[in-house]
Amino acid sequence: MRGKRFWAIGATLLTATLLAGCSTSAGGTEGSGTGTVKMVSWPGPEGDAMAKVVAAYNAGQGKKDKVKVDVVLLSRQDTFTKETALMASKSSNMDIYWTASYNVGQYAPSLDPLDGIDTSSYFPVAVDGLKYKSKLYALPLDVSNHFLLYRTDLIEALIKDPVASAEYEKISQSVLGEARAPKDPQSWDLEDFKAMAAYFSKSDNPKSPTEYGTILQAKNLLYNTMIWNDVLWGYGGNWAKDGKANLDSSAAKKAVSLYADIYKNKWTSPDSSQAEFPETQAALQAGSAAFAIQWSAAFASLNDPAQSPQVAGKIGIAPVPGGKTHVHALAVSLNKYSKNKAASKRWLSYLATEGAMSKYAEAGGIPAMPKVLEAKASLNPAFTKVSETIAKNGYAEPVFPKTFEAYSKLAEDLSGAWVGQTPVDDALKTANTDLQELLG
Amino acid sequence: MALTAGQRKKTAASVLLSLPLMAFALAFIVYPLLAGGLTAFQASTIFDQSGSFNGIQNFIALFRSDGFAKSAGFTVGFSAIVVTIEMVLGFGLALLLNRTFPGKKLFFTMILLPIMVAPALLGIMFRLLLNGDIGAVPALLHGMGLSVSLFSPSSVVPLLVVLDVLQWTPFTFLIIYAGLQSFPGELLEASAMDGAGPFRSLVHVIMPVLKPVLFAAFFLRTIDALRTFDVIYVLTAGGPGTSTTTLSIYIYKAAFESGDFGKAAAAALVVLVCLIPFVPFIVKRIASTGIEAQR
Repeated sequence: MRGKRFWAIGATLLTATLLAGCSTSAGGTEGSGTGTVKMVSWPGPEGDAMAKVVAAYNAGQGKKDKVKVDVVLLSRQDTFTKETALMASKSSNMDIYWTASYNVGQYAPSLDPLDGIDTSSYFPVAVDGLKYKSKLYALPLDVSNHFLLYRTDLIEALIKDPVASAEYEKISQSVLGEARAPKDPQSWDLEDFKAMAAYFSKSDNPKSPTEYGTILQAKNLLYNTMIWNDVLWGYGGNWAKDGKANLDSSAAKKAVSLYADIYKNKWTSPDSSQAEFPETQAALQAGSAAFAIQWSAAFASLNDPAQSPQVAGKIGIAPVPGGKTHVHALAVSLNKYSKNKAASKRWLSYLATEGAMSKYAEAGGIPAMPKVLEAKASLNPAFTKVSETIAKNGYAEPVFPKTFEAYSKLAEDLSGAWVGQTPVDDALKTANTDLQELLG
Repeated sequence: MALTAGQRKKTAASVLLSLPLMAFALAFIVYPLLAGGLTAFQASTIFDQSGSFNGIQNFIALFRSDGFAKSAGFTVGFSAIVVTIEMVLGFGLALLLNRTFPGKKLFFTMILLPIMVAPALLGIMFRLLLNGDIGAVPALLHGMGLSVSLFSPSSVVPLLVVLDVLQWTPFTFLIIYAGLQSFPGELLEASAMDGAGPFRSLVHVIMPVLKPVLFAAFFLRTIDALRTFDVIYVLTAGGPGTSTTTLSIYIYKAAFESGDFGKAAAAALVVLVCLIPFVPFIVKRIASTGIEAQR
């Protein structure tokens, strides 16, 4: 009997101890306004740049504020996974989370809105993308958008050579049903993109200097939905119209069909069914594709002779054909369950200054402040283009609680159709139904 | 019957010594299982962390979704193919290396290399090696006059099978090889004296004796194959579409992309419940000795 009681008490104590260890925080507090602030970051150019801003703050303004910022680097792939787990357990371990336009709606229940921060220096589209139910839940940090990156030598040669131009007209007649003259990529529309993809592919033009015209990023990946969205928006489409899913539109059908045509006609590598950022870089660096819609961060490394010896100096930058580019901002947000909110806000206020963002740009980041980008244009030739393009062509997808899931779901529903594995209409029907469900 | 002082001391010591293991089991096996099981019956999402009880709603949502059935179908088919190939190749390699020949140690080491690499790392390695533009394998194939797109929708599933076989055949080989090392040689001698040839000895002597070992290898590999995640997630993320989505990828996406922990836990619980009935069957066979099987 005594033995049984011993075991029961022991088991209860052990369970209580275990559960206490796994217990969740009841809610955040303002704290003393001083002390250590723990912030999540991820490795890569943004994390490296942020580390330098943090070091500058800790050595200067931070001492006056009596606040020290500790950066916790998580892996690039799993940052959001780990943050989701922390949020689910209402953890107060981190004071500031690493967030982005595409997940701020999903994370909003675990974040505090950032009131009283002057956002007038930021790109309005970056700020809008971080608002949920009219409240700002994150501070824009690094801005990302897309460009058409192309081989200047190949396009110039085509435009200058009458024989090549005649061949292009012939191919465009066959592909588009109308003969087009080759144009400067700065003024391409999506039909030029398609005809050029055919012209620079050996499957349609055996004399092409490249194996494939372009490389599509068609892997089942949420970031690839963002690139495909440029085509959708470029054709005049949108995810939703009047609050209803709008992927049964003719624009959506044209956008998926463009990908499927390019893939099925071998104007992109068959391997592009599993391609994302690195594969696109590899294709451009190896000279096997003449152009691609790619992320802004790619331009500098493609023109760096050390990283891209074959093509450095031959890569041009132009707006995405169709004139629309997705814009998202990597951002930082305040954990609702933080025990040190006052100190965290001091750090965030510093981060929102042009001085802090100038340091961020100098350290290799692309801050979401147009003035800083203009002032630091000498650091990165893409800065001016980013500034111009975001102001003129940038759009942000609708922000709703399940935006993050919507990106993933659309990649899942459409990636088969992008590579001709699923009929376009079937894929769009499924995607529209799923999107409607997510929109609520 | 009362225990003597010595027996009581011994019992207390055994309880004390097993406490760390019990604490470990409670913390890392029992608690997560119970918490997961509980979550499966809760409305637990990233939007609603109240954890309110919602009956079998998560299971209804799960069985209504196309994705779960498709990923289950792919996982079962993929596992059946890879485990079969790995068992056959592992057995063949074990028989081959169960004899002495020059360079055996080097060959042995080479065979074991793939299981020493973390699966996610292996995925990243192959993503580079098989890349059509910068990868060594396509370049080699191109040099031989072969033009194959290893990541195209038609070749991606066979590619995943090959990679799994490449990584996990050494595992089945190692287990079967260990079994062969303790194989009673007199049985083979006796069968040879009875006039049995190599094939007959293999089928009627070696295989029955090694049955528990073969079952152990089969069981461990099947369980592992049904949980496949890393390499496929790194290489295809479950696509194109959902054509290479395994159950683990489905569960991961439900939890961390959709933020629906209840549905993810329900899916995990369903998988667990489906697997549990096989455990006693397999354990019984692993526990029986090969000699018994021969009788």
